[in-house]
Amino acid sequence: MADRHVTYVPAHGAFAVWGAATAGRQVVCRLAVPRGDHVEAADVRVSLVEPHELPDTTASARAWRDAVRLVERGAGDEAFAELAERMPPVAHAVLNSEETAISSAAALLDSYRQAAAARAKLGAIDAELRPYQVDGVAWLHSVPGGGVLADEMGLGKTLQAICLLATREGPHLVVCPTSLVGNWRREIARFAPDTPVLTHHGPRRELPEVIPARTVVVTSYSVLRGEDDLTSRDWDVVVLDEAQQVKNPDAQASKAAARLSAQRRIAMTGTPVENRLDELWAIMSLTNPGLLGTRARFRQRFGTPIEQRRSATAAARLTALITPHVLRRTKAAVATDLPPKLYSTVACTLTSEQAALYRDAVDRAFSLGLGSGFERRGRVLALLTALKQICNHPAQYRPDELPLAGRSGKFDRATEMLTEIVEDDDRALVFTQYTVTGELLSRHLAEHIGAPVPFLHGGLGAAQRDELVRSFQHDADAPPVLLLSLRAAGFGLNLTRAGHVMHFDRWWNPAVEEQATDRAHRIGQTRPLTVHTLVTGGTIEDHIARLHENKRALADAVTGSENALAELPDEQLHDVLALDPGAFS
Amino acid sequence: MTQPEFGATPWGRAWVRAVESTAVTRPNPLLPKARSLARNNAVTDLRAETGSVTATVSGHTVHIGLPLWTDVPDGLVADHTGDLPDELADSIDIAVPLADQHTECACRTRNPHCAHVLATLYALSQRVDERPVLAAALRYPLTEPTDPDWIPLTEIGVAGFYGD
Repeated sequence: MADRHVTYVPAHGAFAVWGAATAGRQVVCRLAVPRGDHVEAADVRVSLVEPHELPDTTASARAWRDAVRLVERGAGDEAFAELAERMPPVAHAVLNSEETAISSAAALLDSYRQAAAARAKLGAIDAELRPYQVDGVAWLHSVPGGGVLADEMGLGKTLQAICLLATREGPHLVVCPTSLVGNWRREIARFAPDTPVLTHHGPRRELPEVIPARTVVVTSYSVLRGEDDLTSRDWDVVVLDEAQQVKNPDAQASKAAARLSAQRRIAMTGTPVENRLDELWAIMSLTNPGLLGTRARFRQRFGTPIEQRRSATAAARLTALITPHVLRRTKAAVATDLPPKLYSTVACTLTSEQAALYRDAVDRAFSLGLGSGFERRGRVLALLTALKQICNHPAQYRPDELPLAGRSGKFDRATEMLTEIVEDDDRALVFTQYTVTGELLSRHLAEHIGAPVPFLHGGLGAAQRDELVRSFQHDADAPPVLLLSLRAAGFGLNLTRAGHVMHFDRWWNPAVEEQATDRAHRIGQTRPLTVHTLVTGGTIEDHIARLHENKRALADAVTGSENALAELPDEQLHDVLALDPGAFS
Repeated sequence: MTQPEFGATPWGRAWVRAVESTAVTRPNPLLPKARSLARNNAVTDLRAETGSVTATVSGHTVHIGLPLWTDVPDGLVADHTGDLPDELADSIDIAVPLADQHTECACRTRNPHCAHVLATLYALSQRVDERPVLAAALRYPLTEPTDPDWIPLTEIGVAGFYGD
């Protein structure tokens, strides 16, 4: 009876114990199994266990126990080669993507060693990683040359990349959209506080002659485009975040990215690149130059056959070529590792237009004087509103007819994220407390997504609102993004078809945001909901975010934090409201 | 940029030229029909092996036998993607002229190069475009570069699989 055999399964980062239930998570794996006189691929019911839970009743189990001991002892290559020699096939019965071959014992042992080494280094990371994230980090460490981390949005690609960066010697370079520069700096400070970060961004940017070891330099695609200082250096790891930005090989940023010199190149994207072959080629030509041949040849051999005549042979060969270099997990695939609600705070960067307006509004309010008593409350409230509007979009603060893109870090980031969600065939709810914000977003998103983006707000009649909700929940061709006014959407709406909720601006009381979030959440829902909260770094939004994290916020919310702020003397109030230059880089 | 439907690479093109050589002196009315069959997925179960190509075309079984090389031409080495260096394509007789092919088709025409055989050859040219090394593998039993990290299932013995 095929029982209690052990196979190490890199995809799960765990040992699979064959047969009847033991400890651990029960799953079904595709593994090689003897049938009659030959060996074939089959579904095998296994339980996934940790090293200390390994049985010792079979040859394969004993072999893997030996492997665990060798890793703990820090044994050399020779000891592992000797162990590989005596591993029975079942111990390494992991199939390739075509299911025509199994991993060699030596290759699988090597993969286990690398995963164990990556895991051991995670002590430096200030976060509890989920099992699939540990696998992801091990993959980032071991994938030859580099690759594309294409996990679905919300699964923590940034955290996994930080784990790679923080456990290597550096110096590293992260290139991301301008709207994400601040987010990277904050996430590194949060998860790997010992890792030095240099943001290379803004008009007065300058890199030191020698970049200190372990340092992560964070820059934007727009800086990369025009700067030789980045391409003339030798980097350890280069991370290209939101790699859709370099999907056009003829663009300046893509050409500059191709000139970067690095030991390891990682591209990150949440859109499934394998469906768009031109983009796939462009991105993989940066992470794995030469892997897919030249662009023209790739079109001849793969692009045209797959896209124009649905060639199964070309598609299978392409899959085999890219599989070792692309890691994509969906929320559905790792659902057992996930809580029902995944919270993600996205730090956004002010544009220079926003920063100037923000400083000006604060300076003007304080130099005119805020007065006292009732008058003071009114003026503080007006200032808070102005600052929140500026964070949302300059055109909300001072209406104009100029184009909307490129003027608000938060607005741009929201557009990028929602575009990605829609391209991934998912749906999103976006909450704002301002009608004007909803209207600006509706207009702008419709252009980007190429479909109308409706806005459910208090000004609509009950019948219109019901129709928007019904359509979002039930219509196959309903717009994938629904904007909602925070106040109009408090109760009674069932919008569980959304996989994502976005809070575009902050409300003082976190309970109000949570109530809105729950429009899309239902107890027993099998698919996790991702909740994105956008925060503009260094601004009043940051202050509100800190209040939310602090339990006192609940008490303050009762009296109204706006009033609490009005109680502060000028000097303290100024400290809270003035733009924190360090925080928005 | 559009590329030919059949013969996008020099290797596939060599096979297309072999097929269309019949039209050099006078038009071959079977060629448009053969292309249309290939284009509309009438060629199924195409198997291309060393010395032999088989397929089912509109229900007719087609077999094409090909003469083998005694050795692989110098420099004809595939890369990791199964591609060949294009600059060699013109100096090597990579495709087999129709006259040198041994063809069988289950249809009733006497023509050894009926529309079904020609359609199979057009489909073959596309396979070669996708993976140029196939053009060489048709003529000589190439040993596929083996990846030491993977063991084919066919090479694993049933006895001793579990090791106990």
